Amino acid sequence: MRGRRALHLDPRVRFATLVGPGALFIVLFLLIPLLSIVVFSFWRTESYELISDWNVNNYEAVLGEWIYLKFLLKSLAMAAAVSAICLVYAWPCAYLIAKHGGRYKLVLVLLTAAPFLTGILLRITAMQQILGPIGLVNMALMELGAQPIQVLMYTNIASAVGLIYLWIPFMLLAIYLSLFNFNFELLEVAKVNGARPWRAFFEVTWPLNWMGTAIGIVLVFIPTFAASVTPRFLGGPNGSMFVNRLEHQFGSAGTWALGSAMGVVMCVASLVVIFVLWRTVRLRRAGFTGAGA
Amino acid sequence: MSDQAILRIEAVEKRFGAVRAVDGVSLEVGSREFFALLGPSGSGKTTLLRIVSGLEAPDRGRVEIGGTDVTRLPPYLRRIGMVFQDFLLFPHRTVAENITFPLKMQGRTVAERREQLDWILGFVRMEGLENRFPHQLSGGQKQRVALARGLVSRPELLLLDEPLANLDRELRKEMEIEVRRYQEELGIPFVYVTHNQEEALTMSDRMAVMHQGALEQIGPKLEVYNAPATRFVASFVGAPNKLTGRAIEGDGARSRIDWDGITLIARSIGNARPGDAVEIYLKSERIALSASADGIHHDNRIEGTVRDIIFKGQFADYIVRTGNEAELVVSGPPSIAGVDRGSRVSLGWPVEAADVFATEDGEP
Repeated sequence: MRGRRALHLDPRVRFATLVGPGALFIVLFLLIPLLSIVVFSFWRTESYELISDWNVNNYEAVLGEWIYLKFLLKSLAMAAAVSAICLVYAWPCAYLIAKHGGRYKLVLVLLTAAPFLTGILLRITAMQQILGPIGLVNMALMELGAQPIQVLMYTNIASAVGLIYLWIPFMLLAIYLSLFNFNFELLEVAKVNGARPWRAFFEVTWPLNWMGTAIGIVLVFIPTFAASVTPRFLGGPNGSMFVNRLEHQFGSAGTWALGSAMGVVMCVASLVVIFVLWRTVRLRRAGFTGAGA
Repeated sequence: MSDQAILRIEAVEKRFGAVRAVDGVSLEVGSREFFALLGPSGSGKTTLLRIVSGLEAPDRGRVEIGGTDVTRLPPYLRRIGMVFQDFLLFPHRTVAENITFPLKMQGRTVAERREQLDWILGFVRMEGLENRFPHQLSGGQKQRVALARGLVSRPELLLLDEPLANLDRELRKEMEIEVRRYQEELGIPFVYVTHNQEEALTMSDRMAVMHQGALEQIGPKLEVYNAPATRFVASFVGAPNKLTGRAIEGDGARSRIDWDGITLIARSIGNARPGDAVEIYLKSERIALSASADGIHHDNRIEGTVRDIIFKGQFADYIVRTGNEAELVVSGPPSIAGVDRGSRVSLGWPVEAADVFATEDGEP
């Protein structure tokens, strides 16, 4: 009995048993593969084989040669644009649900996540049925005697539309959860004290919900930046993104070392975005007071 | 006062579905007045205040502030201050930024804001705390900041919605005096909503009692306390004993009432006929208590036994069981010679001490 008691009481033992399994999983399946990628990125590939010949040629290629850099910039721009559109679209939706959803709030929020009931491939295929040359939009236009909308057919625009559709629920959810904990009475205080509605929004609502919004941006930006299926299915001949180039290195090209370097660059770019956003969140200014109110 | 009324409310009505939250209220508040709006929860007092602030629009009626019709004006154009029950400070702003928020919205310069801030910080005794965030303040400090925010721009009118309800008793006592000082020194009219009659009586000049959306009585606070106009006011203000009986003789200069076998003399009940049900409200401090019958020289005198004495510090409540098996609460000094638990005592009160009302069709 004494032994069992001691086991339960020793905080170090308790900490280890609680954290151990999860930590082991992360080390085995996340950190080790990630580290190996970092290592490979400094090697080189020859005839489909990795050779441990330490060099930085891969990075010089990824960041120095336009053919790779172009795709990196394009992917970043795409992710930024998709995040921005999701942000502008999701904010009013989340606001309306949080403020006027009443007892249907939860249902309305869950409905926005309804597409998750199917797989990503099915959803992308469904988008093809809507946007493609014989899709709903263009078929209807042609039936009415109008010209089909060219930009919807296998272009980067189509791919952006698909990405927005896929990831907007995350943005909406993050903003909604933030607004759920927001005291709307503070807006009344602002108005009584002379703030017009838009002023009240930017003085009170926006800063107090910026942390949730920033989380939403990360949740959309990162997967959009890493999206491969959507641009391949909806983007058409010019739809290729940085990730598609990366996949190519691991596939038919067989240049694993270069692919690893591209992977590391992506990872670092994502971390930079997260870091920049994190720096904009000042916890006290976000109304975050920690455990003690 | 009516020619210099700052706030004038005329026949204001507001419904929420089938509920008449505010039912035809008219009142005026003078330019240097501390006006209390007293009522139980759900009486419509907060709705009325929100209508004055512009946060709620009335279905009917007019609201005038400083001689201008503001009925259709949004809150941000009304130039009023408001203090809320939950303080509602902006959690992402420092004390200084919270307080100067109204000035910033009015487009005042940084120098002006700084000057006003220094003045109000001294006024509410919060110097040195301007860089704290709201979560680093105590309840009393938060409320001072909220009051400072309401007063900093010297509005034409300050509305207060149960501002002390979330403070503990000691602090509330202190703040009652403090809030009263703000009003007197600044000369800005305060409209103070509360369900706590002590607060209303301590602070206000005049008060109105609200019940089910309507005004029951409006007048100087002593008048409301001493001469309640309606049965509701009589029961709500003060801590009265409620005696139910039947009129024996109602329409003379004085009435006689049968209170479960004891005959009481009270003021005239007007049109009450013999046998009509009546209610008597008798404030506990208006009953005299004496160990001997010789000590009572009032129109009403009854005998009883002290069941319990509840010591309250500066005074005590004597719970007296009367001959007709009822109990009366009598407030008196903490100790009275010859009176203890179980003592036989005499009670008495003058005719005008009791407020009498006929109850409609005998309903309590």
